[in-house]
Amino acid sequence: MMEQFLAWFPLDISLIAANFDRFLYGVWLTLNLTFLSLVLGGLIAIPMAIARASRHRILNPIIWAYTYVFRGTPLLVQTYLIYYGVGQFEVIRQSWLWDPILSQAWWCALIAFTLNTAAYSTELLRGAIVDTPLGEVEAAIASGHSKWGRLRRIILPSAFRRAIPAYSNEVIFMLHGSVVASTITLQDILGVGRWLNGRYYLAYEGFITAAGLYFLIVLAITFAFRKAETRYLRHLTRRNT
Amino acid sequence: MTEAALKVVDLHKSFGAHEVIKGVSLEAQKGDVIAILGASGSGKSTFLRCINLLETPNSGDVYLAGEKMQMTRNRHGDVIPADIAQVERMRARAAMVFQGFNLWSHMTVMENVLEGPLYVRKIPKAQAREQAMALLAKVGLSDRADYYPAHLSGGQQQRVAIARALAMDPDVMLFDEPTSALDPELVGEVLAVMRDLAAEGRTMLVVTHEMAFARDVSTKTVFLHQGEVCEAGPPEQLFANPQTDQFRAFLARMN
Repeated sequence: MMEQFLAWFPLDISLIAANFDRFLYGVWLTLNLTFLSLVLGGLIAIPMAIARASRHRILNPIIWAYTYVFRGTPLLVQTYLIYYGVGQFEVIRQSWLWDPILSQAWWCALIAFTLNTAAYSTELLRGAIVDTPLGEVEAAIASGHSKWGRLRRIILPSAFRRAIPAYSNEVIFMLHGSVVASTITLQDILGVGRWLNGRYYLAYEGFITAAGLYFLIVLAITFAFRKAETRYLRHLTRRNT
Repeated sequence: MTEAALKVVDLHKSFGAHEVIKGVSLEAQKGDVIAILGASGSGKSTFLRCINLLETPNSGDVYLAGEKMQMTRNRHGDVIPADIAQVERMRARAAMVFQGFNLWSHMTVMENVLEGPLYVRKIPKAQAREQAMALLAKVGLSDRADYYPAHLSGGQQQRVAIARALAMDPDVMLFDEPTSALDPELVGEVLAVMRDLAAEGRTMLVVTHEMAFARDVSTKTVFLHQGEVCEAGPPEQLFANPQTDQFRAFLARMN
């Protein structure tokens, strides 16, 4: 019965099963690249968004140019520039940055992803900060809050919450964008799929498994964000729950 | 002689070439309730906003319980606060209630009332909580402490805003058209709270269109016209015997 099913089924399940540990490692690599870059990029984005929103005279144009460039060019190109490009410079190959960091594909991917998501997150958060209702900011001023106090206590908590729905998209884009890692030798989820295809000339086994794994991760992300929204955006719903 | 709770001397404010406040002076003793009337565009809200520096006046002095708000000029010649820490300290003592309530929407009612005491006045948490509960009881909203502002009616939101202002234990309260954004049937509950505050001796400046409130509750009524004090005095005298055509016309329009 089982054998009949396997013979009929168009995918070679046993091949997928035999390589499942590789896929698991791929999941681990995809997740650590995606979420490390999101965390680091997010941390960089917060001060940059504040500088942008407050129209800081010197920092604002610099950060604007940075986000424009990183949002205006493909992540793949950015990753290639760091992975293939930076090593062209003798100075860098001689420097302390080379050996443990820039010569490693994982580090190059992490740097490219972090800079990329930081650019998107900066603009996203800047928008949320700027959209803080003026009356609420005035109430914070009138209450005697310092500039820092109103940012920390009123504007950022409000902006972070309002940014949650848009940020869930950024997280999913970053997960999908992380397939770029597979083009610079890394065995992330897609990397394992490509390896399987290259080795056995069986495209569907590797790629459908990869697609399924990405899909499952997206489901988990969506679920987590839905939980976060019901918790942190209660104040924007029509009724008390 | 005791210091006036609030003294404003010869305040001027322009937006661009347009002068909105043309030298307004005003003094409020402790316990005074001063109603500020005027047509829209008369500068009454701007005047109120200059007192806690939500707008920066072009000239004039503001004293709160005798302390003068220190101003200076920057290198472009614009008037700016000399000491931002002093401004923040004085703002905390002149609590404001806005036309649009302006509650912090991501915070519950309780958190709104606790914010100033905990993070501006920095009083102990237990004490702040106790005070906040008492204030919510005073404005009749003890049972709404855990609600978000969006889940309350306008009248309830404004009463929370009043509790939030009271939580600052202010020397003077500034009301900027507190009932103008409310549905007519919700105006009464807010005015009732304000009457209670007046009765217990709070010093209040109230920019309003509520003639009855001005007449019955204020200790002094000021009528602003085109950025100047047109008439001022005890309300019974002012309303019974308007001296100027402008105030007569204004009263006729309001009735």
